[in-house]
Amino acid sequence: MEMNDPIRREEKKESTPDRQDSGPSKPDVNRPGRDGILKRMKKVDPKQSEKYKQRTGQ
Amino acid sequence: MNEIVPLLGIETEYGIIREDQEESDPVEESMLLLGRCEAKSSFRTWAYSRERTHLDMRGFQVSRLAQDEEEDEFCEQDRQRPYSYWEMKSDRVLTNGARFYNDHTHPEYSTPECRTVFDLVAHDLAGEHIVGECVRLRNQDLGGDALQLFKNNTDYSGHSYGTHDNYLIPRQLEFDTWVRHLVPFLVTRQLYAGSGKVGAERKNDDGFTGLQLSQRADFIDSVLSIETMTQRPIINTRDEPHATQNYRRLHLILGDANMSPYATALKVGATRLVLTLIGAGKLDTLFELEDPVADVQRVSRDITGKVALRLKSGKTATPLEIQEWYLEQALRHTGLSGDIEEWNWVTREWDRTLNDHRNHPENLADRIDWAIKQSLFNDFIESEGLDWADPMLQSLDLEYHNLNPERGLYYGLRDEGSVAGLIDPQEVAAAVHRAPQDTRARIRGQAVEQELDRIKNIHWTGIEFDNGEYLDLSGIITKEDVGQALNSNKEQFAWK
Repeated sequence: MEMNDPIRREEKKESTPDRQDSGPSKPDVNRPGRDGILKRMKKVDPKQSEKYKQRTGQ
Repeated sequence: MNEIVPLLGIETEYGIIREDQEESDPVEESMLLLGRCEAKSSFRTWAYSRERTHLDMRGFQVSRLAQDEEEDEFCEQDRQRPYSYWEMKSDRVLTNGARFYNDHTHPEYSTPECRTVFDLVAHDLAGEHIVGECVRLRNQDLGGDALQLFKNNTDYSGHSYGTHDNYLIPRQLEFDTWVRHLVPFLVTRQLYAGSGKVGAERKNDDGFTGLQLSQRADFIDSVLSIETMTQRPIINTRDEPHATQNYRRLHLILGDANMSPYATALKVGATRLVLTLIGAGKLDTLFELEDPVADVQRVSRDITGKVALRLKSGKTATPLEIQEWYLEQALRHTGLSGDIEEWNWVTREWDRTLNDHRNHPENLADRIDWAIKQSLFNDFIESEGLDWADPMLQSLDLEYHNLNPERGLYYGLRDEGSVAGLIDPQEVAAAVHRAPQDTRARIRGQAVEQELDRIKNIHWTGIEFDNGEYLDLSGIITKEDVGQALNSNKEQFAWK
């Protein structure tokens, strides 16, 4: 199908990523605790990807 | 209800490295890793004689599969090693029906055949757990944490390894029909299926820096090909159904390894829906991309999803428009086939994700891998005063995929609750040991669990026992087939 006029749809009501509407709620991504992950990131060896050599797979 | 796509599976090749060695030997390390697997399994009994990797869907057979010169040299060196083919492969078939082995020096976990997307995601996560446990035990032997494994698809130096999603589809429909309707979908599904990659590895590259949607896009060179190590295609044409000749196995090798289970579910779920629409003859019009291979890279390098792709008609469409069109067709045919809960979940989340991509892309940072990376790395760039061209970003990109629970960035985000969970951890724990109960994997898993010493060889399509008895699994496709096989062959299934 050719798209001269992009499909326009109304913005849908936000749903949760969980399997059932009654399931656990969407995670809070306001990132109050980013300090922990930033600390983890700071420990990464800056040359890690340079040292990471693999053989071709499928 | 008769399923157009009755079975699903994912194969994941993992990257492997010893950080305490200047040059890590992947053959040795992969063998030692498989040797450390404590899961009950049938070891080195895989029936390679039942493999048919040289038949092409287009009706011919190739004499050999190609690889590049570098890999030819490596393979020549491998032949000088004091190991047999079987030792290097180290195949294991587990009680959950999965296969865990070494494929081209990469530890590979192939899920058991699953009927539902959610079962498949649980088994993909079970694979991470099983591989991760082997890493833990191997590092225990080494006295540290020198061995690291990565669920990704590139070494950033031009070497790629795959994550293949597989779908059993009816053979009755011409292969060309599947291809024509599927290509525009596959070229653009990276909007949500892409794991994200910092930098580019395309030969004769244009100097792209920054984040692209997909790990694998740089390695796609053709629309159709039987090859998997060179000239990788959008659709692989290997004709190896692992079932009766009533079926084809659609073997897609263009996808990324997703850390986010949500992304895995949406990728496989949307692909299954599109295949169902094609199989039911519900897609009567289609986009025809002028240059689909170039578009794979074009889409990957534009995270907005709004790059114009040229159609054969001379007009253009964006990746978002193409995906929205496929979604629209799925919404028109709700309940066409199979599990309504799954259908509804996929269409709802597909819609929400495309809608967010178009209007609020920042909302994707809780569930789509490339967007999680974008948000995370932007925070790091801001905190450390870097930019996207800094080599550190590629190292962070790699570490996102690390299976080490103390180091992996995705695992760190998961543990702090910053990304969407989808599967109950108890379901994953069960999937480590237990096959899906509604596919033939149940029979394979039970054989491993209860008749391990009697297995002479084993394959997706059957099991040969030491008394010469052969259990043919190739025709066991539906849930009913599984029940019927168990009930009508009670003597054969005495071990049930």
